[in-house]
Amino acid sequence: MRLKRWASVLFVTCYLLSLSWGVAAHALKVGIAGNTLSYFVVWDMFCGWQAYDNRTHLVGEDAQGNYYEIREPWGAFKPFGNVDRMNYDATNHLVPRHIEHVLSHTSHPEINRVYVVQEIWPKQFNVPAHLWNYNFREPMEKVSYFHLRAICSENGSTIESYPDWYNKQTLMAVADNPRLQQAAREATPYYNTFFNPAANNIQNRFQATSDSDGLNTN
Amino acid sequence: MNSKPTQRFSPFGAIREFFFAEQAPYGIALVRMFLPAVALAPMIRRFGRVRELFSTDGTPQQLFELFGQGHPLPVLPPSFAVALYGIMIFALICGIFGFRTRLAFLVGAPLYAYFNLLDAVGTNTKYSVIAAHVLLILAVSECHLVWSVDAVLARWKNGRPATAIPPRVPVWPARLIQMLFCFVYFGAAITKIQTQAFFSGEQLRYWMFSDWNYENPVGEFMATSTPLLLISGYITVVWEISFPFLAWRPVGRFFALGVGVLFHVMTWISLGLWIFPLICTSCYLAFLMERDIVAIRRFVHRLRVPTSLLGMPRFAIARAIEMRPTAMPAVMVWLVLATLAAIGAAEADYRIDLYGMRSADGMMPLKTIPRDVAIAMINNARPLREKDKFFSFDIGSRLIGGQLANRLSEYGYGDAIVAQCNINPPHEDLWVECAIEDSDKRIIDSSGQFVTRDALWANFTYRPGSMLAHGDYWMILKSSGKEISRRPFKLSGDPASLPSMAPMLTN
Repeated sequence: MRLKRWASVLFVTCYLLSLSWGVAAHALKVGIAGNTLSYFVVWDMFCGWQAYDNRTHLVGEDAQGNYYEIREPWGAFKPFGNVDRMNYDATNHLVPRHIEHVLSHTSHPEINRVYVVQEIWPKQFNVPAHLWNYNFREPMEKVSYFHLRAICSENGSTIESYPDWYNKQTLMAVADNPRLQQAAREATPYYNTFFNPAANNIQNRFQATSDSDGLNTN
Repeated sequence: MNSKPTQRFSPFGAIREFFFAEQAPYGIALVRMFLPAVALAPMIRRFGRVRELFSTDGTPQQLFELFGQGHPLPVLPPSFAVALYGIMIFALICGIFGFRTRLAFLVGAPLYAYFNLLDAVGTNTKYSVIAAHVLLILAVSECHLVWSVDAVLARWKNGRPATAIPPRVPVWPARLIQMLFCFVYFGAAITKIQTQAFFSGEQLRYWMFSDWNYENPVGEFMATSTPLLLISGYITVVWEISFPFLAWRPVGRFFALGVGVLFHVMTWISLGLWIFPLICTSCYLAFLMERDIVAIRRFVHRLRVPTSLLGMPRFAIARAIEMRPTAMPAVMVWLVLATLAAIGAAEADYRIDLYGMRSADGMMPLKTIPRDVAIAMINNARPLREKDKFFSFDIGSRLIGGQLANRLSEYGYGDAIVAQCNINPPHEDLWVECAIEDSDKRIIDSSGQFVTRDALWANFTYRPGSMLAHGDYWMILKSSGKEISRRPFKLSGDPASLPSMAPMLTN
């Protein structure tokens, strides 16, 4: 009985400490990056939504220049509503696996390349028609923007990849500044991996060896 | 002088009392009945997709991969995965009815966590994390002591008569579920505080206009009123932070839990969340203590509701289990049924033939896309239309939290005309103009301002005073010299009715 009591105390203590760690780490933004277990004690249910909606399309191309929709012909799984599961893959980890999976379970000519395309549109166009008229009072002229995100091979491995649409827009917004562009052009990135002066105490070493086998500057 | 013996306050004593006071485990038994039922709903929906989501013949994506930690969990061949899935469903159903409860949760909880961790894209969410926490607590609790098949079997075995005195056990498992929700809400409040544009309503609005959850027609309507979102945001955060300080107060807990239920109902109708509110509200049952159940029972008895009917399922199951051979322990029945569930699940998966691999036509073909459509998708370098950088444009007269609180189309002399545009991020630094045009299409007034890339809205305030003649006008929004949107308004009244300005004192 006493042992059971101590086991309970230990369980309660460990449990509350883990919850406390999660909240503290989340508030201070330390120790939660790259840590799967933190997902179980960090409560970040509302971490932001984007102004544009997006869907991912996979377009396969065969040797004859025909194009195919790389989508499950048995019906895509929609986990939380009306959106295909693949679209919840915010980190694009699933795309290569999805391509390989669909192509290996369907009949098709040999596919040479698969284009990963983002479709983007402003979220106000998700509003139903009656609310659109009430709220925006102008014709609904929805336009979708398509953005090539990557090119993959038939087995899903990436051949080329590009920044996603959101990052591209942000980069363009920042780069749209002649002063910044000039500063970037004038700055020369320099990163020498051949030797590390601090690690090798290069000054002493150079003096000690300059008479024999020092650096030849000619 | 009468002296009163003083009772020394001991913090450890208070903590001991808080966690280890002995009560009948009614609250946690209710959680045992409701939470697994809710957690099972999305899992049963995925039963036909186990092969695709959780096996080597599909596309599982472990949560560990998203954190760059590889694939530590074993991914099983489809038949084994489906069999385990069947055992998980069986175990959680046993937990609901309280048949070999501890074994059921010791098997069901790890399997539930395992399958959720295997599909970080389409299965694992924060509600499954909360459910995993509570299933773990249920596994180590004494939730089977009341209102369960186990309790009925134990009573029959011991030959005890039905008694009004329930078994009492330390209350810490219920306390842990209660504290879990304090941490959940407190952490959620911290997230909102750290989230840019939460308190101006933009974030909520974009969520409500998303179609990533189930249908949310009420939310779509609410999203058209920014002040409503702003007020809702503040109320939510205040409630989330105050929850731990009210949840155990005699009166405060009714407020904390009542607002909690209301909050979760609102997330259902405004955000299209179905399972999350049900998971949370079913866990609120852990807040019911013994005295609450006694009070509810008295009330129900007064209403003459036949509550004995609620016990019929567990008595029926107990009677069925008692029909086993006497030499066979009840746990053997559980194991035999679990094995049947596993075999049945594997057989069902075989018959479903998700990919159609065994159909007469062979593998299904891919759908072709017309060449022009495909090329338009692949080679589409279309720049963003200027008007798509803007979410909305409206005119009104009042601001709340910097956001337009009303919409007007008629103004009197002396009214302020506030024009507001909301801008969709990410956007570059913009030069935005607002112009007033009369009914003869003459520009009467035009002003502009820089809207930097961090701004989500811009306001233009006009005080026309007696400068404009009464009549019909347009308020026009322009960006980069292009017209984005226009709103009509009418100026009426008598300019002479304006109060004269007080003489200015310059010294």
